[in-house]
Amino acid sequence: MKRLFITLMLVFGVASPSFAIDGTEMLKTIDANLNPESFEMYRKLINVEPNGSKKEFLMYSVKKGKDKIASVFLSPASEKGRSTLRVGENMWLYIPNVGKPIRITSLQSITGGIFNNADIMRLDYHQEYHCETVEKEAGGYLLHLKAKTSAVAYDKIKMWAGGQKLLPTKIECYAASGILLKTLYFSDIKSFDDTLTRPSVIETDSPLYKGYKSIMLFARVKAMALSDEVFTLTFMSKLESLR
Amino acid sequence: MKSFKVLRFIIIIIPIIFAPQILLSREEYSFDLSEIEEAVEKKPYSLSGYMEFRLNFLYLDEDAAFYTLKFFDSATTNRLDEYKFGLLLDADYQKQNIGLFLRTNIDAVKSDLESDMSAKIFEGYLSLTPSFFFAAGLGKKTLNWGTGYAWNPVGFVQRPKDPGDPGLPREGIVVAAADIIKSYGGQLQTVSLTPVFIPVYEGVNEDFGEINHINFAGRAYFLFYDTDIDFMFLTQGSKPFRFGADFSRNITSNFEIHGEFAFINNFEKKIIDSDGNLFEKKYDARSYLLGVRYLTSFNTTIISEYYRNGTGFTTEEMEDFFDLIDKQKNLSLTPATDSLLKEASSLADKSYGTRNPMKDYLYLRISQREPFDILYFTPSITGIYNLNDRSYSLSPEFLYSGVTNLELRLKGSFLKGGPGTEYGEKLNDYRVEIRARYYFDAVKLMNL
Repeated sequence: MKRLFITLMLVFGVASPSFAIDGTEMLKTIDANLNPESFEMYRKLINVEPNGSKKEFLMYSVKKGKDKIASVFLSPASEKGRSTLRVGENMWLYIPNVGKPIRITSLQSITGGIFNNADIMRLDYHQEYHCETVEKEAGGYLLHLKAKTSAVAYDKIKMWAGGQKLLPTKIECYAASGILLKTLYFSDIKSFDDTLTRPSVIETDSPLYKGYKSIMLFARVKAMALSDEVFTLTFMSKLESLR
Repeated sequence: MKSFKVLRFIIIIIPIIFAPQILLSREEYSFDLSEIEEAVEKKPYSLSGYMEFRLNFLYLDEDAAFYTLKFFDSATTNRLDEYKFGLLLDADYQKQNIGLFLRTNIDAVKSDLESDMSAKIFEGYLSLTPSFFFAAGLGKKTLNWGTGYAWNPVGFVQRPKDPGDPGLPREGIVVAAADIIKSYGGQLQTVSLTPVFIPVYEGVNEDFGEINHINFAGRAYFLFYDTDIDFMFLTQGSKPFRFGADFSRNITSNFEIHGEFAFINNFEKKIIDSDGNLFEKKYDARSYLLGVRYLTSFNTTIISEYYRNGTGFTTEEMEDFFDLIDKQKNLSLTPATDSLLKEASSLADKSYGTRNPMKDYLYLRISQREPFDILYFTPSITGIYNLNDRSYSLSPEFLYSGVTNLELRLKGSFLKGGPGTEYGEKLNDYRVEIRARYYFDAVKLMNL
């Protein structure tokens, strides 16, 4: 038994060069570097078509803790007042004309384009993914993430992270079949306040949408104390009052 | 001549619709974070909405019962072209925790039969939100109870949806309502209570039910084990006492189920037989709905619902109604037949002619998001099948929203059913609708 244990230790110790790096802690650090515990932010989403035409959306969002995020569209006029809420794996969309929140799924997209609902209402990475392995690369690390449950939008993620403050630079998202669904590129690192410095631009492309591109711009990301009642269906029509 | 008018309209409207896209397609994309800083400036007021043009071409069924009811005392036609204009305007003012909201809807229609315009206040209320835990509202408000997509048997305090277009804004009712919200950790994540008072007097909510009552309704909502659960009731007053429940839950990231159940105590149903005799039936009605929403890996969304309408007419009751109209149609118009057809017409407006007046229905909607990589393009098809008389409607639809704030829709509806069936006796056999809807934010447009 003792011999078997030593053999296993040797096999896995040699086979895994990333043995000494704690991927879970690294992922938690990346999450903490991307946003405060409870905060508000403005985001602009731009969908660009191959012919250069574009469609833009402006959103105000609030996030609290590990699993609560709510957003309201400020423009364009066709989307104004629409709000989304995510509590864990539950997602809802409120459309002012319909007047009632309806359940939506993470793989749908409320804006069209390459970003789906899971991208727009993203929870902390460590909340949804296990870090299976970490590879040391020139200038940073490559984290191999695996979805904790089948309810998560992407089955596997490859995350490249680096820099003085550990931040993601590129993320590849894969389906359970192994198909690459999309790639996210993080750029333009900006200080939002004394404590938060993070990429302010995320660009994405997808082999499934050749020639198309979607961009997410971040502005006014700042810590904010929020009540849990903000993240309820009843409050969805009143989200803009938080601004 | 009529076709020429339509063609001329289309020739004029198409360049107007597509001009912004042509201009946009030449635009280079760039981004500047300072743009967002300017755009997020908040004003205490807002004025926004949409305007729309609709062209409806209705191909009428001259043998249908509802055709007889519409044209029995006027000139007949086998095709009806309607030109419609609509304007929905939302005005909102917020000062700290007090808000005022007004939604007005203007509809204008021009056809060979009518030329009419109506303006209605859909909503107009004062709201008070002193804390995250409590909100109150007073005025005309659209409440939406129920988790069903096409139908809501538990919608005790709202006007029914159009299952063919469930997202259309609806007129509210005058209420005094409140929301009390509490969040918890653990499996019970949220509880909210919504008490509602509905006054029904002459000039106030007259179409809700019997006048001279203040009705009380309530709803309790729970987010429990990741499931939305509601319990609701409406006390005896303008309408008989009723209670119900609904639920909705995501089973996986692409599969949702929902359902509703409603019980109405001593529901009164007015029935007319084939000789024109009126009856009243009183019974406890049970209605329910079960539905699913499924998203495939090819981005196809499937929504399906089964609806049991406990207040609906049986096949025999519906056939009696159609027989009555058929008999009267074959008689020459005398004061007696005229009176019976008027009686039938009045009943049609209240019950027989309302949307889905019978007992059992199946609903299926299949929509494909952005096929062939065409962004913002969604073709879909919707079918409503009457399980009792096996008649149905089938509506293919093409929706394009690629130009900012502009939505273009081409929709057809084909109704199929034999004599004496719901869809077989509708006014038209098929119809085509072209709709262009433009959304605007008047505050930004006019730099108010």
